[in-house]
Amino acid sequence: MELKLLIPLRNLLRNRRRTLLSLAIIALGTAMIYAVRGYVDESMLNIRAGTVRQFGNFQIASPLLWAEKTENFQYLIPPERVSQIAEILRTIPEVTAYTAQLNLSGLAITERKTKVVRATALEPQNRALDYNDLVERGSGLAPADRATVLIGRTLAEELQLQPGSFFTLTTTTVDGAYNVGPLQVAGIYTLNNAIVERQLIFMPLGYGQTLLDTPGVTKIIVKITNIDDTDRVAALVQRKLTEAGLDFEVRTWEQLAEFYRQIRGFFNVLFGFLTIAVSVLVFFIVLQVLTLSFLERTREVGTIRAIGTKRYQVFLMFFMESVFLGLLGSLIGIAGGWLAGQGFNALGIGWTPPGAIEPVPVQLRLELGNALWPFLISVMATAFSALYPALHSARLNVVEALASK
Amino acid sequence: MILQTKDLTKIYRVGKEEVPALRGVNFELDVGDFVVINGPSGSGKTTFLNLIACIDKPTSGEVFIEGQPTSQLSEGQLAELRKRKIGLVFQTFNLIPVLSAFENVEYPLLLLGLSRAERRRRVMALLEEVGLKDLANRRPDELSGGQRQRVAIARALVTDPKLVLADEPTANLDSETGKQVMAIMRRLNEEHHVAFLVVTHDPVVTQYAQRTVKIRDGQLFDGGRTNGA
Repeated sequence: MELKLLIPLRNLLRNRRRTLLSLAIIALGTAMIYAVRGYVDESMLNIRAGTVRQFGNFQIASPLLWAEKTENFQYLIPPERVSQIAEILRTIPEVTAYTAQLNLSGLAITERKTKVVRATALEPQNRALDYNDLVERGSGLAPADRATVLIGRTLAEELQLQPGSFFTLTTTTVDGAYNVGPLQVAGIYTLNNAIVERQLIFMPLGYGQTLLDTPGVTKIIVKITNIDDTDRVAALVQRKLTEAGLDFEVRTWEQLAEFYRQIRGFFNVLFGFLTIAVSVLVFFIVLQVLTLSFLERTREVGTIRAIGTKRYQVFLMFFMESVFLGLLGSLIGIAGGWLAGQGFNALGIGWTPPGAIEPVPVQLRLELGNALWPFLISVMATAFSALYPALHSARLNVVEALASK
Repeated sequence: MILQTKDLTKIYRVGKEEVPALRGVNFELDVGDFVVINGPSGSGKTTFLNLIACIDKPTSGEVFIEGQPTSQLSEGQLAELRKRKIGLVFQTFNLIPVLSAFENVEYPLLLLGLSRAERRRRVMALLEEVGLKDLANRRPDELSGGQRQRVAIARALVTDPKLVLADEPTANLDSETGKQVMAIMRRLNEEHHVAFLVVTHDPVVTQYAQRTVKIRDGQLFDGGRTNGA
């Protein structure tokens, strides 16, 4: 190996206890950032999957609906337009399913209690939303179903309903008339979210249209093969709608899910803060260790400068030492973080997020791709910490350096 | 002429006081000379050596290396001059502790950018000349004082410099080892035709000199030529 690399490497082994301390600090910092990155990533992926399950990949509706001008049901899509949109969707290979959806609200009434509910009426034969997969008791909605519903676990408990039980739903039609419909509980679903489970019920589209006395629908929910293609396919659909002269607007799940953006923003701030805090900690501790280490070699610097080593070469020698230290410490941190993360995941520790009913497992996503950022951050923090002491060493007066003890 | 100084003066400032270390020194050294500058502590020996080694700047006067004035050279040019034309031997050996004897001698050649094969050839030849071929892989802390100083001498000569400057090369050695080291330096001076300038307060070292120069209170007094040891 060339002396240029050999000297920094051997200098690392010179004071092993000090090097081990530096390595431990760098490794710990790297492992912490890696673990938190893994937690944030796993959480965001779960939230993303849940959000797409709730919203579909994208939705098509009247611009009036997106502008929240919802008075008098002007935003409803008439049946002939639904057919035209369906025709367009059938030409796009990435689209795996779509369903028309009608939203309504009303009062769920049993003999004992009354609750305000929001109903989502869909086409059970079109599996664009996976609500049937959420059923924990009873059965999902079937294509032939009419006056049947899925209700959330919390609502079922509050209204004391079981699969097979009946209740009444009162609502108003699009013309403002009072309407009542009897409904039978087909199944009880859970989303592990008390607010949604208390309010949201699913019913067949036909029955929802009967209750509102309209053939129209609120929007069309579309599901595609790959979540990462959402923006591209949504743009394609929008273009085709416009070309067909249909005044409808496509909104992706990410545009619709404000809470997703808020959580992502919160996690980004949290992760950024942690990264800065850990980097600063690594920077100052390694700075202190390297300063001491470099100071001890003042006479050596004087010697190599006296025999012709240039300032930048002295700087590089010290800087390389810190880079090696950073690389080694970061690698140990990634390896240690991965092992510790696997152990943590195996423990299956859970926590109950705000609004959730049951604890969810806390899992760390330990993909190597997630290790890149913590690796780079730690190497950079270590390298930066060497800048001042390395520059100081490179600029030493040769005579004074040679005279030092 | 390999080295010449003209009216070389160095004044240190200690607080508001000015302390002259060298007072208008004129000195010349020819190719192949072996000159010992002898003087007591504080006489200005090391200051003089630092100035002609181009690691310090004079207050006034000029140092010429092979006729080239050095006072106007930049830091980088001075480093270049030191690595090509000057070899240094220090009182405390000043070897790099993490490198083996071989690697310590190889280090200046790396600065010259020589090939690995050429570096190996030159290093092994010089280690053989100083009698350390078999100890090439030992680190400095595995060598005796005399062996370390021989490694340092090999390091000073490996670049084929015109001039080797030695600052109290025997001060950290017992008298017998000191004599051996001086004998090696004298032999290499003759074999390589490289000029040696040794500064010392040890009168024994003057036995090896072709010419002895006394230094006192920052001034040189030429003691004339001898045959050396």
